[in-house]
Amino acid sequence: MSKTERIEIEPLARVEGHGGIRVEIKDNKVQNVEVRILEGPRLFETLVLGKTPEEDLSIVPRICAICNLSHKFAALRGLEKALGVTVPEATQLYRELMHHGEMLESHSLHLYFLALPDFLGYDNAIAMAEKYGDVVTKALALKKFANKVMRIMGGRMIHGENPILGGFGRLPDHRTLQQLREEAEGFLPFAMETIDLLASLEVPDYMERETRFLCLKPPHDGYGYYGDILLASDGKEYDVEDYKSVISERVVGHSFAKRGRYQDRPFTVGAIARVLNLGDRLTGKAREARDRLVNERWYRNPLYNNFAQAVEMVFSLEDMVRVIDRLLELDQPEIARPTRETGVGTGGVEAPRGILLHHYEIENGLTVSADIITPTAMFLDDVEAFIRRASESLLSKNELDNFELRLEMVARAFDPCISCSTHLVTVEFE
Amino acid sequence: MSGTKTTTSGGESKGRERPRLGIYGLTGCAGDQLLLIHTEDHLLDIFEAFDVRSFVMASSNPVEEELDVAIVEGSVSTEEQREHLLEIRKRAKILVAAGNCATAGGVQAMYAKDGSFAERMRRVYGDDVKFVTEPIEGSPLDEFVTVDYYLPGCPISQSQVLALLSRLLHGEQPEPYPHPVCHECKLRENRCLLLDKKFCLGPVTLGGCGAACPSNGVGCTGCWGPNPDGNFEEHFKLLQSFGMSKDEIIRRVRNYGGHKILQYIKDLE
Ligand code: SF4
Ligand code: SF4
Repeated sequence: MSKTERIEIEPLARVEGHGGIRVEIKDNKVQNVEVRILEGPRLFETLVLGKTPEEDLSIVPRICAICNLSHKFAALRGLEKALGVTVPEATQLYRELMHHGEMLESHSLHLYFLALPDFLGYDNAIAMAEKYGDVVTKALALKKFANKVMRIMGGRMIHGENPILGGFGRLPDHRTLQQLREEAEGFLPFAMETIDLLASLEVPDYMERETRFLCLKPPHDGYGYYGDILLASDGKEYDVEDYKSVISERVVGHSFAKRGRYQDRPFTVGAIARVLNLGDRLTGKAREARDRLVNERWYRNPLYNNFAQAVEMVFSLEDMVRVIDRLLELDQPEIARPTRETGVGTGGVEAPRGILLHHYEIENGLTVSADIITPTAMFLDDVEAFIRRASESLLSKNELDNFELRLEMVARAFDPCISCSTHLVTVEFE
Repeated sequence: MSGTKTTTSGGESKGRERPRLGIYGLTGCAGDQLLLIHTEDHLLDIFEAFDVRSFVMASSNPVEEELDVAIVEGSVSTEEQREHLLEIRKRAKILVAAGNCATAGGVQAMYAKDGSFAERMRRVYGDDVKFVTEPIEGSPLDEFVTVDYYLPGCPISQSQVLALLSRLLHGEQPEPYPHPVCHECKLRENRCLLLDKKFCLGPVTLGGCGAACPSNGVGCTGCWGPNPDGNFEEHFKLLQSFGMSKDEIIRRVRNYGGHKILQYIKDLE
């Protein structure tokens, strides 16, 4: 191996857009690891200044298409807190239904089409289909179903305006709900087959190192994707309103995405963080799935994030059934109205890739300050740390075959959006 | 051409070269590309009918050579992207701007040309960061290159992009779609929101979405960009009669109007 080597993983086509990974190696030592986010700046925090909450809700989901409804949900939670809006139970449940749609859509795309081919040794899902045709066909159907839920609740496939402050523009009728319920139940056996498939896989360990996990604690005894308390794997809990003192943000020159740290160290968010921190709250088939898959290596190995996504798909399908059963008993909710025009609020939602925080300050009905922290910003430092660890251990064992692919697998495990995961490594020898 | 795929899928030659297609993303949310991926069944048709050379979001191993058609999503927001766009333009016979970011600049261009960009950069990133590529205020593609066809919308509509692609596939000119959102709203037999004195930009916004928002009882925010035939002056007067100030109306129409709205409101402010 030459003295100085630079490994470029570029384009990391979509880590919220354009980016790449650069690893610099000198005399067999890793000098520097950078996850470079080269997507241009959009300055969302300044775009909402002077705007009404209604405009904020329309603008902020444009941050990310894949997580557009998570952004909508987080913004709704933040703005409703600020303006003293209390939504009825049915509205809350419709939002959960909407969010399950996004979770299933994102997880199925990532797990079946981007990660599984790696684990099974194929270049892509199409090549994988020759031996696993049944899995690919069912996965496509599951993704389509999830898209439908997003379209019905969001109002459009992407960037729908149907969710509004205090409620929804239009709600599905009971027949539509019944159909969704049936379909969700129908996909459960497939989701459990996926758990079996994953249980049979060998997971490599070349990147393993200790880290910490953060997620939101649901405001009830169950598992869930939103909350007002930040829960860390060290057992500590924090009010989400204090997020600034818990997660410190810094700006680095190689990235237009800011970086977050917990107690001055990198941390992980996302499905793996939720299943590790909240898994004891799971019931039913999801509990079976988690008991089957989780082991102590999860705490050191981000590749298990894909396994955690499979557990959450089971949870989301089961919970959709519960949510719809309850909705069928409830009357159509009224739109809840603001009780004040001035206030401050932080909305916390678990996006597919982890904690998403939206903080708003509203004065006389207009936005005077906003702060948005995305999961990608939170876990980028940890991705760098795991890639560094992976490079070091592969170098020390002199395992140089598929070096880039193995680094890429680590980045892909975090689910940094679609195309970064499709494929991107080139090596440059200096 | 060595190493590239030149046969149709299944190995059958159609006797005619398939047009070479490249799909690219600059700065945006990738919603327009994602929408194409969500067309699952049609996506396969696209891959069959076109020789898809580059679509990094959906497929690995791009081949960056001459193209018959390039579809570009996103605004130009860094110097590197400006260079990338010029390079794509050189290689592509036909260039299509897809999505509001590419056609108008996107939400990141709502303050287009008001001179606040540097200050807003400072506000978000602080004073002393030097980025690896120079940031540019979000701009539509046609600020830098000639654009042959526009697919507006945030994101684009599946039917509009498929119609454009099939026209291009047969060597025909894609047709413009000069109808406002109102037109589609009437076809869906919705009750007009303006009758209830609700804010809606339908009359001054280009259609194509099937009146998605008014069909849910929610006003149009204008995400398709301005309808050139729209009577902005009269519509603003109507909205003012609902108790909205002119400043607020102009502010709202700029949210998705980017660079393209400026000519329609310059005498109204
Ligand atoms: S036009 Fe809209 S959907 Fe397309 S990239 Fe821009 S923000 Fe996303
Ligand atoms: S109704 Fe207006 S805001 Fe809604 S999708 Fe259509 S153009 Fe966009």
